Order: sequence, then structure tokens, then C-alpha cells
Amino acid sequence: MANDKSSMQLVANGILKENPIFRLALSMCPAVGISTTVMNGFMLGVAVLFVQVCSSLTISMVKKVIHPRIRIPTYTLTIATWVTVIDMVLAAYMPEAYAKMGIFVKLIVAFAIITMRLEMFACKEPVGASFWDGLGMGLGFMIGMMTIGLVRELLGSGAILGYDVLGFKPLLFFILPSAGFFVVGLMMAFFNYIELYYKRKKGFKS
Amino acid sequence: MNLTRIRLVSLVALVCAFIPALVHGQGLISKQSFGEKNEIILKFSAEVNKAQAANVSNYSVIEEQDPDIRLELASAVPNYSGDGVTLHFKQPLNTAKTHVVTVSNLSGDVKTVVKVSKPYLGYLFSILISALLINNFVFTKYLGLCVFFGTSKRKTTAKGMGVVFTLVMVASAMMSWFFFNFILIPYNLNFLEIVVFIGLVSLTVQAVDTILRKVNPILFNSFGVYLVLVIANCVIIAVPLMMANNKFNLFETFMLALGAGGGFLLALYLMSSVSERMQFAKIPPTFKGLPIAFIVAGQFAMAFLGFSGLQIF
Amino acid sequence: MKNIITIIIRLTLSCLLAAFVMGIFFVMTSKAKKHNEHVNEEKVMYSLLGYKVGAPVPETVKLYAVYRYIVTDPAGKSIGYLVPTGQGAETGFSFIILDLDGKLIEQKPVTVTADDAAEAESRDKAIKAALGAGKEAVYADDKTIIVTDNGARTAYLLSGKFAGFKASISVMLALKTDFGIRGLAIVEHEEDPGLGAEIEKGYFKNQFIGKSFATLKTLDVVKEPLPDAYAKAMEGVKGEDGGKILEQYKDHAIYALTGATISSRAVTNGVKGTVAKFAYRINILDNVLKEQHIVVPF
Repeated sequence: MANDKSSMQLVANGILKENPIFRLALSMCPAVGISTTVMNGFMLGVAVLFVQVCSSLTISMVKKVIHPRIRIPTYTLTIATWVTVIDMVLAAYMPEAYAKMGIFVKLIVAFAIITMRLEMFACKEPVGASFWDGLGMGLGFMIGMMTIGLVRELLGSGAILGYDVLGFKPLLFFILPSAGFFVVGLMMAFFNYIELYYKRKKGFKS
Repeated sequence: MNLTRIRLVSLVALVCAFIPALVHGQGLISKQSFGEKNEIILKFSAEVNKAQAANVSNYSVIEEQDPDIRLELASAVPNYSGDGVTLHFKQPLNTAKTHVVTVSNLSGDVKTVVKVSKPYLGYLFSILISALLINNFVFTKYLGLCVFFGTSKRKTTAKGMGVVFTLVMVASAMMSWFFFNFILIPYNLNFLEIVVFIGLVSLTVQAVDTILRKVNPILFNSFGVYLVLVIANCVIIAVPLMMANNKFNLFETFMLALGAGGGFLLALYLMSSVSERMQFAKIPPTFKGLPIAFIVAGQFAMAFLGFSGLQIF
Repeated sequence: MKNIITIIIRLTLSCLLAAFVMGIFFVMTSKAKKHNEHVNEEKVMYSLLGYKVGAPVPETVKLYAVYRYIVTDPAGKSIGYLVPTGQGAETGFSFIILDLDGKLIEQKPVTVTADDAAEAESRDKAIKAALGAGKEAVYADDKTIIVTDNGARTAYLLSGKFAGFKASISVMLALKTDFGIRGLAIVEHEEDPGLGAEIEKGYFKNQFIGKSFATLKTLDVVKEPLPDAYAKAMEGVKGEDGGKILEQYKDHAIYALTGATISSRAVTNGVKGTVAKFAYRINILDNVLKEQHIVVPF
């Protein structure tokens, strides 16, 4: 991770190459638990994006003052602060969406992805780069959540964003709680397949 | 060997938690319990007049939270030997609530008041079972998945992780309970709960780390590596949050933490058993690694759905 | 040693900073939270009564809240109700204490404004001041709203909370004056999506609409497929004889949701219990108000 990466590259890196859900396989709990609709995925995505960007910025700004021995506690404290903030804001201004996400907003505090980005990126890089990296990671998480939500909502209840598009319910199974594992597993396999396909193609060319 | 010691300690702690539950009624009534759906069974310490015992107006039964609503009695049937009575109600009783039975005119003018509730022991046990099986944190609440998939490759790893996790969980949940009830609630600082709980978890992990290193270096060598992973597990923060949400008391919190830890151990063990077998299976290249693990976990989750609605007490 | 001191100082400083940030947001959001909760509750209430969102509610319609307390004094327990009293311009609040048999013990005027009465904290304080020492009143988390139109009672709104399949379910009920059900709204639940969460869908919760008090007492849950015509009529799909179909199933048992019998049963039993308790209490309260000639606006 050098400084020469442009901001767009950093964002794209978070969304595609190091997508937190499909590539890094971190913070899987909400991906399985509450990804039953696109809206749920979007809302939690926004919350994670906020926490990731704010924490990255904070740590990047104060990185010189942090004593190396209390690095991890400082990260935890920062994340917990921003999680509390977004938790209170969501509870106040979007009570309905908040009720659907239940305990998961508070659990962002234990997401491995955020701590990992702080440790690997924000504590070394300047403020600007940290911001773009946090944004990329947050967006990557949000897009991953929304993709799973899209598949589950479309196949499970025949709707997108609550609007009935198919007119019938293809497979109720997909919005049942345990289906989250299957959907995530199958989608990971799908991405693996694409990767293998391109590798093979390249292999034939060279 | 060390595992057996840990098991022994937790067993003793369990028994201690149950002792306060073994308190019974007083005076005229020696034993009281719920019978069928709309029955309360009373046992007297001495024989009573059967005609009096059968008189419905001698009893008044209320739910503890609703003292103004008398439950309507259909009949009171004394048993053959005259030292007990079964009260039949017109409506089914809500056995989850504590009922207060007032008996008058049976032994002089003295009114006897007893509380009827499900055995507290059973209630505590139901919390444990619920956290362990019905609402298993991994398979039905979808928490702690990162660590779950990371450490369920081999049985020995799974066991180690599960045991360390349960210990840290119980310790941190107990501390969280004290902090929540004696600091956060009295000073109206509920909004700090996330920070306080995560802080306590880190503190517990650090403490266990230090103590284990000094007291039992061998155990530390085999289990120490898992300690770091514990902080990154959402179950450990979910338990105090649930405790705060449901306003559990100390014993209930203990059972919840024990059930959550035990459930995590169970899930890890099941998953690792399958993983060990899967190494010899022919898996399509696209499914190797995480995808197949997710599919297996999904099947476990469906199996665990079968526990839903399970009621023992 | 010096190291440890710097670490401690820095950690304390960052903790203070974090607490400061959180405190600011807490103060900022707590007001909005209360306001939004209130708005939400009102929206649910009016939609249950049949007023559309956005459409103005007629001025003749008035809502009066009655709060129930459990009063404890050395003699034992009694029940207290905070009711609005008086009619027209002279309105106030009274705390009416009843014994467990439903006889009036005493009536105490409470000096509190209508806005303060709606707030749990200020209400408790006002009641405590009115009661004086020796008696303790604890809010029983039971609020009933009596709806009047032109001074005549038209409906009751009550909230209930009971155990569901996973966590507790909160509902709001609208009752007719004869305690038949006018509407049911699921306010909060944590049931499984696709299974128990269907309780908030029209085709389940609207089954309760029109059930009379007598039917409700013996209402059962059946595991039978929901008739298609009935489901459509409840979802509000405009059909020729929607009203007739609803009428036909008026006294029918509740059709359980597929794969969520426990949730269906929980809601049915919860609604039954809530209505039964409410009917019992409001009758007692009405009797006392009538016997003691306490003038109330509802």
C-alpha cells in the first residue's frame, strides 16, 4: 500500500479486489443474519461506512500521538465511540429501519474488518488516503450486503426494495433465516468460478 | 486433565447458582405447583376440613403483576386423604407469570398467602437450553461467524477455542452485569453501554492472558493463541447487550453466558468434525474452502431450526 | 514507570474525549428520538382508527389517556388510575385509587399539565407529590387511550406486550365500545423473516378485525390453509364482495401462519389476554366514576 495509489484506486480496491464480504470473508455475521432485503443491507452498509470512514479518519489524524503499546485499546475505543454515535442517530431518526437491524448495529463494534483496516492502513497512511480507503471498504461492504439482499429478496419474496416485481414468490426458502448461509456460500462459489474461468483463459493465451 | 478441572469448576458454580431456587412455601401450605393448563395444586401440611377445602370462595388467586384481577375459579377439588386440593380455573393460566394464592378459613381465621410459580431452577435451565440449542448463537442468531469459520478446521482447535471462549464469556458477562446494574443504570448512562462492555471484554481477555501465563504456562501454550481471537467475536459483546435488553438478573446472566459459550463450543465441534471428513471428499474447485463451509453451516442451521419451539419446563 | 504514566494519561484523555463526543450526540438525539417515537405512535393510532396518513382528523375527535399505577402502602396494594377530569374549560387530572375489589379508596387531584402527563418522568413526579409520603405508586406500563367524538366514546386504544416465539411482541389494539376488535397493529417483534414475521402482514393481523368480545373469549387457532378469497379481502384487494367475505369469516378461528404456529398462537393468546384484562378494568373504573359522580371528559 503505497502513497502513489490514486483515490479512485483505493475505493475500487475496497469494492472489488478486497471486498470485505466476498474476498476477505470478514464480518460475515450481518451478511448472513439480516440480509433478507436490499433495504436492510443498505442501512447496515451505511452504518458500517460511517463507522469505517470516521474511525479511519480519527486514527489517521492522531496516529502520531498513539502510544504503540495501547494501539488496540485506542482502536476499540474509537470504533466504539462512533458505533455509539451511529446507533443513537439511527435510533432517533430512523426508528423503523433501526428496529429491523436489531442488535447488529451495536455489534459493528466487534467487526474484524474495521479494526483490520485501522491496523493495516489508517495508522500508517495520511488522512486523505485513509479516508478513501475507509470509503472503499465501507462501500464494498455495503455493495456486498445489497447484492446478497437483492438475491434473497428477489428469490424469496419476488420483490425489490419492497416493490413486487415478479408477482409471485419463487422460493420462500431464500428469506428463511438459514438460507443466508447457502446464498453467501453459493455467491462465493460463483465469484470463485469467474476467477478460475479468467485464469484459465489467460493460461491458454500465454 | 485440565479440561476436567474446568468442567468441575463450572459444575460447582452451576450448583451454587441453583441453591437460592430451592426455597419453598410456608405455614399451612407445604407445597404448591401448577398442574394441567388451568390447574393449581396445593398440598397442606395438615389435614383440613374437606367441605371447607372444596369451597371456591375460600380461595382468591391473582397474577402478581395484576393484583386487581381475580382469576375465576371453576371448582376446588380436595384429594382423597384431605391434605391437598386442586384448583380448577375457567381460563387457562399463564404459567410464565407468578400467581399469588390467598387461602382463608381453612385453619382458623388466618389467611395464608403463597406464591405459585414455575420452578426457578427450570426457568434458569430453560435459559441455558435456549442459548445452547434453540437460539444457538452461531446457527440461529448468525453471530461470531468470522471466528467460527476460522477455527473450525480441526477438532482440537475447536475444543480449545470453545473452552477459552466460554470462560472469557462467563467472566466478562458477570462483570458487565455488575457495571450495568450498579453504574450505568443508577447514573443514567445507558448510552455508554457499548464502550463499557467492549472495554470489559478486552480487560477480561488481558487478565486471563496474564493470569494464565503466570499460573499455568502449559495451558497457556495450548490455549493462549485463541485469546486474541475472542475480542473479534461478536458473540462476546452480544451477550452483555442481550442481558441489558432483557434486564436479566445475575443468575440468568450466568446461564445465558454459559449457554452462549457452550453453544459456540458445540457449533465449533460439530463443524470441525465435518471439516475433518471433508478433507477426503472430492469437492469441485469452485467450492473449495469457504463456500463449502458455508453450505455445511447452512445445513446445520436448518437442522437447528428443528429445536425451535422446544420446551422442557 | 514513566511509560506507564504517559499511557495512563493518554488513555484517560482519549476516554474523556470519546465520552464527550458520545455525550454531545446523546443530548442531540435524545430529543429527536422522543419526538419521533411520539409521531410514530400517533401515526399507528390514527391509522388504526381509520384516519389516513395526511388526512386531517376531525376536530370533534379527542383522545384521552388513562394511566394505571400500582400503589403500595403499609396496608397492602391498591390500583391507581390517572384520569383527566372535568369538562369544557375546567379540566384537570385526578389520581383515583381503588382497592383490589374495585371500591374507591380516595381521589386526589393532581396538578400537572397535559404535556407533562404524557411524559413518564414528570407524570411520576406529579403523582408522587399528590400522594404525599407513605404511599408509593409504580407505573404499571399500562396506558389506555379513550377516543371520543363529540363527547361520546367511539373507541379504545390500548397497547399490549407479550412473549412471542423469539422475543416479546408489542401490539396496539383498537377496540369498539363493546370491546369488539376494530384493528390490530404489530408495533415491535423479532420473529423470523418469512415465517413468524408474517404476523405483521395484513392477511394475518386483519383476521382479528371484527371479532366480537364474545367470540374473542373462545377464539382458537386452526392449522388450516387460509382461503384465498378471505386473504384477498383482508389485504384490501378491491373485490365485488370483499365486505361479504369478511362478514362470513367474522367468527371463524384464526388461521395459523404456515410454519409459524407458535407465533400465531402467541399473538392470538396475547390479544385475548390484553382485551380481557382491559374490559375487566375499564368496567370497574367506569362504575366507580359513575357512582362517585366524578366528571370526566370521556
